[in-house]
Amino acid sequence: MQLFLDGIFLGSIYALFAIGFTLVFGILDRLNLAHAAVFTAGALVGIEIVTRLGVPIWLLIPMVLVLGAVLGILIERIAFRPLAGRHDAHFAGLISSIAFGAIVLSVLQAMYGADTRRFPADIFPRTRVEILGATVSLLQVVILIVSVSLMIVLTWLVAKSKLGRGMRTIAENPHAAAVLGLNVGRISSTTFALSSALGAVAGVLFTLNVNAASLGIGHAVELKALAVIVVGGMGSLPGALIGGLILGVAEVLAVNYIGSSWRDMVAFGLLFLILILRPQGLFGARKTREV
Amino acid sequence: MLTEYSSLITLIALTAILAFSFYAVLIAGQLSLAQVGLASLAAFTSSLVVPAEPLFGFIPPLLIGIVFGMCVGIIAAFILGLPVIRLRGVFLAIATLAFGEMVRIFLINQSWTNGAQGMSFAKLVGIEIAWIALAVVAFWFWRLSGSRMGRAFAAIREDELAATTMGIDVPRYRMASFVIAGAVAGLYGVLLAYFSRFADPNEFSFTAAVDGLVTAVVGGVTFFVGPVLGSIFLSVLPEVQRVVGIDAGWIRPTISGVLLLVVILFLPGGLSGLIPRRRSAKRLIVDPSERPDLPALPAPGTELVRLQGLGKSYGGVHAVRSVDLTVAAGEVLGLIGPNGAGKTTLVNMVTALTTPSTGRGTVLGIPLNDSTRAHRLAQAGVARTFQQIKLFNRLSALENVLVGGYRITHDTLLRRLVFLPSARRFEREAVAMASAQLIRVGLGDKAANAAGDLSYGDQRRLEIARALASHPSMLVLDEPAAGMNHVEAGRLSELIRSLAADGIAVLVIEHNVRMMLATCDRIMVLNFGEVIASGTPADIARDPKVLEAYLGSSGSDADADAAAALAAEDLAEATARSVGEHERGVSASGDGANESDDTQPEGDR
Amino acid sequence: MRRKLLSAAVCGSALLLAITGCSTATDTGTTADGGLTGTGSGADCVIDSAIPIGASFSLTGAAAQYGASQKNALELAVDDLNKVGGVTYELTVEDDATDPKQAIQVFDTLIASGASIIVGPTLSNTAKQTNPIAQDAQVPVLGVSNTAAGITEIGDYIFRDSLTEDAVIPQTVKAAVDTLGIKKVVVMYSNDDAFTESGYQAFSAALQDQNVEVADTLTFSKSDTDFRALLNKAKQSDADAIVVSGLIDAAVPLVSQAREIGIDTPIIGGNGFNSPALLTGAGQAAEGVIVGAAWNSASDNEQNVKFIADYTAAYDGAPDQFSAQAYAGMQIIDQAVRAQCSGEREDIKAGLGDITDVPTVLGDVSLNENRDAVHDALVQIVADGQFTILK
Repeated sequence: MQLFLDGIFLGSIYALFAIGFTLVFGILDRLNLAHAAVFTAGALVGIEIVTRLGVPIWLLIPMVLVLGAVLGILIERIAFRPLAGRHDAHFAGLISSIAFGAIVLSVLQAMYGADTRRFPADIFPRTRVEILGATVSLLQVVILIVSVSLMIVLTWLVAKSKLGRGMRTIAENPHAAAVLGLNVGRISSTTFALSSALGAVAGVLFTLNVNAASLGIGHAVELKALAVIVVGGMGSLPGALIGGLILGVAEVLAVNYIGSSWRDMVAFGLLFLILILRPQGLFGARKTREV
Repeated sequence: MLTEYSSLITLIALTAILAFSFYAVLIAGQLSLAQVGLASLAAFTSSLVVPAEPLFGFIPPLLIGIVFGMCVGIIAAFILGLPVIRLRGVFLAIATLAFGEMVRIFLINQSWTNGAQGMSFAKLVGIEIAWIALAVVAFWFWRLSGSRMGRAFAAIREDELAATTMGIDVPRYRMASFVIAGAVAGLYGVLLAYFSRFADPNEFSFTAAVDGLVTAVVGGVTFFVGPVLGSIFLSVLPEVQRVVGIDAGWIRPTISGVLLLVVILFLPGGLSGLIPRRRSAKRLIVDPSERPDLPALPAPGTELVRLQGLGKSYGGVHAVRSVDLTVAAGEVLGLIGPNGAGKTTLVNMVTALTTPSTGRGTVLGIPLNDSTRAHRLAQAGVARTFQQIKLFNRLSALENVLVGGYRITHDTLLRRLVFLPSARRFEREAVAMASAQLIRVGLGDKAANAAGDLSYGDQRRLEIARALASHPSMLVLDEPAAGMNHVEAGRLSELIRSLAADGIAVLVIEHNVRMMLATCDRIMVLNFGEVIASGTPADIARDPKVLEAYLGSSGSDADADAAAALAAEDLAEATARSVGEHERGVSASGDGANESDDTQPEGDR
Repeated sequence: MRRKLLSAAVCGSALLLAITGCSTATDTGTTADGGLTGTGSGADCVIDSAIPIGASFSLTGAAAQYGASQKNALELAVDDLNKVGGVTYELTVEDDATDPKQAIQVFDTLIASGASIIVGPTLSNTAKQTNPIAQDAQVPVLGVSNTAAGITEIGDYIFRDSLTEDAVIPQTVKAAVDTLGIKKVVVMYSNDDAFTESGYQAFSAALQDQNVEVADTLTFSKSDTDFRALLNKAKQSDADAIVVSGLIDAAVPLVSQAREIGIDTPIIGGNGFNSPALLTGAGQAAEGVIVGAAWNSASDNEQNVKFIADYTAAYDGAPDQFSAQAYAGMQIIDQAVRAQCSGEREDIKAGLGDITDVPTVLGDVSLNENRDAVHDALVQIVADGQFTILK
């Protein structure tokens, strides 16, 4: 049981990162590789805010959300929008988001140095809880709850709200969306803002959970998150959550039954297999491209 | 200066070779991140075979390493390609990325590589060898770019489906680009290890893969000097910053990031896009004596297509039901019917883009079944155009037609590598053939224009020229007159008649009923997937069922126009308005999803 | 047509290289032959020209935090030594961006610009690619953080003042066994890093020597931060202690998470754990962690006390072992220069060969016949938020 829960909690972190990641992919069909930098920025700026201003955690989260949203809008405006309509927008978007991420990281290094930083120990109560014979921390439970509720709220948002309808129309056919009078630019900005806000908060929760934030944390999670969104199905929000949990559990089981040296092999092997056997992922609907 | 910068200059060459490995897949429209994993495999395994002394006293150890490394790259790329080659875009990128990471983890856990401690290599590579290797690789890609194989890669990158219908075996070419990339990656891995004297598996990480991709894209993937330019740009950038006196630290990656962003955002073709080039390096060749002798077409009247009870259903919806049909060489068979009648589905089956659910069919002696692949049929002599134009937009008009000639031209890559005179002769023949077709459809003066920049009507004509370039026995035209005014449609009608006179069997779908009545030898009318009438144009024009079908269709303005055309006794009085305008209006409105979809069922109402 | 363009491109790029090359060539001529020899010896040595010292550290990229400490300490050391008089140093610190390819280029540049000695690089695996270049060019290199095996074997110009894990870990294990009576341990290490993997090898040899049973060996990646799954597995083994070979990046989360899930046994770490970040980052959780190290921040060595005070004042943060070793490296170089009273490469090389019991912030340091550092290693335990010597 402890094993299983460990996997679930590990997976919920992956999911938290992946939900924002997959949101942009699902709607705008773009892989935003600057997401890792936003994640790191959320963590490091969050730490700065807390140590400088001493704000409590419940106040910090909205501040980081805003930071993430601003970064998201910048990413969309600078790295993606100028590419609209270009035949190589796919490749170019990858590269421009990588470049944007690199700039964000170097600015973070300029602001806070390269040292590993962390939140003050008392920012979040380190309470331990007994669940089904396993001990877990309160924080882990909170992260899991946050991941699940985010997934539900976002799924609802995309499925039911006006914004969500706009998003889905764009996902279906951007040209048609423009013809129908949707403000494609604003909706993609909003999508990026939403995605990055989630990414930034994920960075804060992640850092609280592991008690360390360095410039490289986003990068380490990014690869796993790629695995998660593929396993769960590109663009599928529930898929990102379930994919994250599956990956987390698979990794923990690999550590215990195969050997920790091969743990990452399991993650990428799983990813590879899923792509071969079911490219649309466990929960993704295959986009039928017109021919 | 040479000693101070010898490593930099060497690394520029090596990085350019890595970028060429990405270039090799990117020119075929694939995004693979497996390259550094392949390089890593090649580098580490080469240490197992490279001897300390020259083999037999004269074969240098490095040469053994290079050959071995390239073989490892080729084999590994092939094995990796088998399962992943059918993936596209980001999916392919992620699958190959996963492969690269798996290689890294595998090598770290091996004792013969010393894991993370890494492995030492002899110093066998310097400036000269690195640049010679780069020159060889660049030479290869230079010669590739003008060959038939290079054109096939470009065609696949621009539009896979269209490439298939030109007779290009897409999976095979995608695999070929994968394997070429693997060989180049293997070369890079071995050269890097024997240059830097040390390698550990972590050097071949995701970051390294991304760096390689960035180098290739920054350089540009439409011109073979791109990888070299990208490598120079990215390798020299830190050094220039150092020389200029920018402090070591965060500011340098910031500047590099900004510059990278600027290049990507403002230079769509990468750095190599800055080099002025004509769209098409080739001129038209109009001298008829340059054209090759082509095999004769089947004698007029020979039966080329026979369909018996052919049908297609999608989850219970019958798009086409039990169609019997024959087409003979030299005749023009028209296929009309209201929107959603199943016309496109039928011709998709005839060109093997769609597999029939029921019935039998033979096209040019090839049976239509699950295993019939479209490029086989194309190679047998079936050419087609598409309802929604599928040109290779970034290629010039002439290049589009050259791709169309794939079936009847020779592959010239190997000949081009050694500058055989026959390579030039074959190229001239291909250009002469293509020129003739361009001129035939009236686009002789637009040969150098990018296909995507042509007007709508010109694009339709270019598609026909491209299809004709394959010297087809049978030509399938899906709404060729859409977007043309009646003068253009008239010329098209003449063209179709002249093709039939040459002995080509023409199967044409068209909404412009007036034109069809004037052009076709026979007309078949489809409604709700069934043949409701068949016969000479005169019979069809009088058949009340046909008019009824058009009038009953709730479909589009085009259908109404067709009905009007049929209803009017005097064809000249029929709708004066351009059908084309309506066509375009239709596809932009709600009905568009159905209109624009060639292989999906049409019967969704 | 295309061929012309190609040659134009090649010529253009060659021109670009030539321009950048020329512009540096003009300012490289500072070291005329013999210009760096002086008069007198030892403390009385006087050399007129400043001795160019090159340093290649990872100031950006994955290892940036180590490189930053090294750069700070080295600059501090040069400032301090320049105040002594007689001999002055001109320090150039370059960034290898944690990329061996960059490091190779940095070494080329430093060598061409006439550096008398190169300090660095930060990472051992980078050193394996860069140091052969210096060896070929006959430029001495002093590693201040390379701990992997095989570094000084590269050649007779390669020295280091960083103790290898082999020199630190056996003592650590012995001390831990002697004082705590440890019989069974779980070993954890990151297997994708040269430093931590060689630490693991040293640990496993030392544990075998001490007849300690290894109940389980668990590996992680240097980029990992969540160790709960591994720790829960380690917990099942019911061992007396957990032995960890990891970098400080892993140390803090690993130690905090171990305590969080209820592992109260001692945790034994190597050089990688020897950082003030362990105390500030893991806080209460760090209590009882045993760290074998080349440098003890709590040492009452006079130089060390001053170094810590100066460093903290200058950079607003406590130094770590990386900074101490970089600082000591400069002290050793100064000793070597003054011994021969020359800043020429060959003389520095000879001077480094004779380094015996030089007082530094690390204690008295000698370089042995293998050009490796020899000095006392320490075994520390965290008690009351301080590193204290384990007695």
